[in-house]
Amino acid sequence: MSDRNPADGDDASTDSVSTAEGRGDQTPRPSRASAGMPTWGLVLKLLVLAAVNGAFLAGLPTMLENQWWTGLAVAAMAVILLDWAYLTKKNIPAKYLVPGTIFALAFQVVPVVYSGYISLTNSSISHRLSEQQAIDNLTSRVSNVPGTTLYQLAILDDDGELAFYLIDDTDEDFLGTTEGLEPLTDDRVETDADGDVIAVDDFVVLGLGDLADRQDEVLALEVPTDDGAIRATTFSSAAVYESLYSYDEATGLLTNNDTGVVYEPIEGQFTAADGSTLDPGWQIFIGFDNYVRVFTNDAIRGPFLQVLIWNYVFAIGSVALTFGVGLALAIALNHPGMRGQKIYRALLVIPYALPSFMTALVWAGMLNQEFGVINKLLGADIPWLRDPTLAKVSVLMVNTWLGFPYMFLVCTGALQAIPDEMKEASYVDGASPRQTFRRIVMPMLMIAVAPLLIASFAFNFNNFNVIYLLNQGGPPIEGAATPAGHTDILISYTYRLAFESGSGAQWGFASAIAVLIFLMVASVSAISFRRTRALEEIV
Amino acid sequence: MRSKRIAWFALFMALAMVVAACSSDSGDTTTTEGDTTTTVAAETTTTEAMETTTTAAGGDTTTTTVPVVRADADLVIWADDTRTPVIQVFADRFAEENGITVAVQELGFQDIRDRLVTAGPAGEGPDIIIGAHDWLGQLVSAGVVAPLDLSSVEGNFSEAAVQAFNYEGAIYGLPYAVENIALVRNTDLAPDSPATFEDLVDNALALQADGTITLPLALQENGNGDPFHNYPIVTAFGGYVFGTNADGSYNPEDIGIDSDGGLAAAEYFGELSDQGVISIDTLYDVMIESFSTGQSPYAITGPWALNAFDEAGVNYVVEPIPSVNGGDPRPFIGVQGFMVSSFAENPLFASTFVLDFMATEEAQAALFEAGGRPPAHTAAFDAVAADNPNVKGFGEAGQNGYPMPAIPEMGSVWQAWTDAYALIFTGTDPAQAFTDAADQIRTLIAEG
Repeated sequence: MSDRNPADGDDASTDSVSTAEGRGDQTPRPSRASAGMPTWGLVLKLLVLAAVNGAFLAGLPTMLENQWWTGLAVAAMAVILLDWAYLTKKNIPAKYLVPGTIFALAFQVVPVVYSGYISLTNSSISHRLSEQQAIDNLTSRVSNVPGTTLYQLAILDDDGELAFYLIDDTDEDFLGTTEGLEPLTDDRVETDADGDVIAVDDFVVLGLGDLADRQDEVLALEVPTDDGAIRATTFSSAAVYESLYSYDEATGLLTNNDTGVVYEPIEGQFTAADGSTLDPGWQIFIGFDNYVRVFTNDAIRGPFLQVLIWNYVFAIGSVALTFGVGLALAIALNHPGMRGQKIYRALLVIPYALPSFMTALVWAGMLNQEFGVINKLLGADIPWLRDPTLAKVSVLMVNTWLGFPYMFLVCTGALQAIPDEMKEASYVDGASPRQTFRRIVMPMLMIAVAPLLIASFAFNFNNFNVIYLLNQGGPPIEGAATPAGHTDILISYTYRLAFESGSGAQWGFASAIAVLIFLMVASVSAISFRRTRALEEIV
Repeated sequence: MRSKRIAWFALFMALAMVVAACSSDSGDTTTTEGDTTTTVAAETTTTEAMETTTTAAGGDTTTTTVPVVRADADLVIWADDTRTPVIQVFADRFAEENGITVAVQELGFQDIRDRLVTAGPAGEGPDIIIGAHDWLGQLVSAGVVAPLDLSSVEGNFSEAAVQAFNYEGAIYGLPYAVENIALVRNTDLAPDSPATFEDLVDNALALQADGTITLPLALQENGNGDPFHNYPIVTAFGGYVFGTNADGSYNPEDIGIDSDGGLAAAEYFGELSDQGVISIDTLYDVMIESFSTGQSPYAITGPWALNAFDEAGVNYVVEPIPSVNGGDPRPFIGVQGFMVSSFAENPLFASTFVLDFMATEEAQAALFEAGGRPPAHTAAFDAVAADNPNVKGFGEAGQNGYPMPAIPEMGSVWQAWTDAYALIFTGTDPAQAFTDAADQIRTLIAEG
């Protein structure tokens, strides 16, 4: 649309355009900028640019700290582009294109590309870590050796070398170092007036505050004994532990110290010979496995067709109903003889002004079979949300209620933009009102409205809110291979599969489904837009 | 002109009020009054099944909008709004004694789990969280919690509570509260403790027949069916969700929903629904309201509901659910506790704080005061139960309960089982519904 109105920029950009134009003949506009005073537009422009640059600089330390180089490069490029576009006086097209392009990239392209990327990985709640993190996690698992002593602990320091001062349950005290455990005699232990130990030999006792930055050292200190290694449990207690797993870096194999089972890293997870696996795994590329899974999975194939058909019925039905109701009301209220137009219009917009998040829940309550206000008013016992057919009707009804004000607004605007002369001309030519509507009004209306209908289809195709908040996709389909509801659409159905079953969130799998739904909606939209262009050529 | 505007405004307000009124009439949970109850439910429950009702009503919207970044402190604890003030007291003491800084950050209860999974590996997570034991399946497989050696303190705790935090042979948390559902009986309407569940049903139906009450049993079904609240009755018939291995852990290969006991329980739910003893439309708010207003002589619910009953001034006792069909009803037990992140910046501060400061009778009693859940610390429980019959009642009811399965496969159970109940309550053959549900769960687990 903007290509038809190249002049509708904001103040800042119009101003900068005019200054730039003025540069050619070296005669700045005399009125405001005569004494070199900046215009308000320029001030605003500089403020906005300063804010953008400031935001970048504010984020810089974090990005450097986390070594987030890609993010840094992209952000730096965006800022440099913006500065270049607005601080130089050339590049007028860039002043229009750069911000739009950056927003389109940030909010449209990046999410799609990122979903595509994730869909090629096995990313899930148990495959989120890097391989090293997963190995660290498994090898740090220790278990208390049953039947061994629990020690009281104080942590000692001798010029940077740490040691444990340990007291066992029989009140014997020991010095624990990496060499081993050594019984202490009283003369080696120095106590203060209260009887608290303050030093052993050359070692001094450290307080918790002194240890804040040295916890890794304390945790790494293992005092070998015959049963296992003594390690700190807390700052004041220690016990004998053995590691559950040991990792061999040369072979990449992980061994369970207890059972001797050897695990091999296969497809992002340590896997034993008998196929059992250890969590956590790590994230790897798995190519198109997620897509293969979508098409071959019994769980998905089960009710898939039924869900898909209803998804189309719901999206198309929603568009048709909201548009039908909205247009009818717009025409009725557009009649010149209509009184109280403004009040009606204001009232009709209310459903649109309330957040659908809330109204969907309110509708769910009103449609409740036993306590709902609708059944109470009707004095009936109608299973609005429990009967498969009625539930579909209810969902469409509520979605129409939510959506018609938008269509009403759009149609009102479009109708008012049709010049009266055209209608008058058709009457003069002898057309009936119906003919005028069909041949003149509708085609002109569709030019403005058709793209919005396509957008509305795309939106409703993935209208998770209404489906989920109204009835959670229910009522359940009897005997389905996996839990699915009669009003489930693809997105609500697969949401459950990907996030509420199995072992929790499966981002890779969910992304593959998202990409497939994106392709479906995008192809329908692309075809429709092509049709719309044909529509424009008629007039 | 001005009068016109005022008229518009008045009209708009009137409409807004109509909308609001409709929602409260319908027992929906979007009004202000509903909000307080849903927050309570959201923070109390440990079950996905209950979540479905509460999250939809905005149970977790209170905090999700606020981005949480690790506070700048030596030790960072994530807790919910109920426990934050209590933990803060002990955290301050810990900080002062050791000359370090401690921060307690408040999140929605369910948010703690979801945020830890993402924030932990990114280095933005806390050192310690509070949470429910049935999160372990997810948290351990995500690799974000570290084992915690309780050997020095476990003797002071209820064995069941400690075992609930045992996941694949290691213990991952220090329990502080145990919760389970029990029978709550209105002592004015039903003065005598029912000997059997069948007596309870007869008595309730008699009260309904003479018009004293409207809902015989306030058993929360959330509009669909609630496997968590229905579980005691299923177990009384010998049904179960997962069988157990020799070492007491759950076996996801053995699904007992379509076992003989499970199918018998299904038939019984069909009967209860046909007789009008329970209703699919009993949402959390409906359960609270019917029991609070004396429209229901019995409720099956947990400690989270008692505040509302007390406020309404209804006289009640808490006791174990009586035997059903000769079998003992065994509820799910949820245990809440402290867990240490495996990405903790200061793991030793964390274990020291948890084991030395929060495992004490004093801390456990303070947490009870705030949250109302029976303490996991045995001495603290005994002290509380001595002068609080409600705590004693829930404790007794939970004595033979089963810990809620923490294995990830449990995630595949809720929706399928909920659907099965919904189908039973709307007239499908009960046995068929449970058989289908069990098949669905097997498919979901197999397809992982």
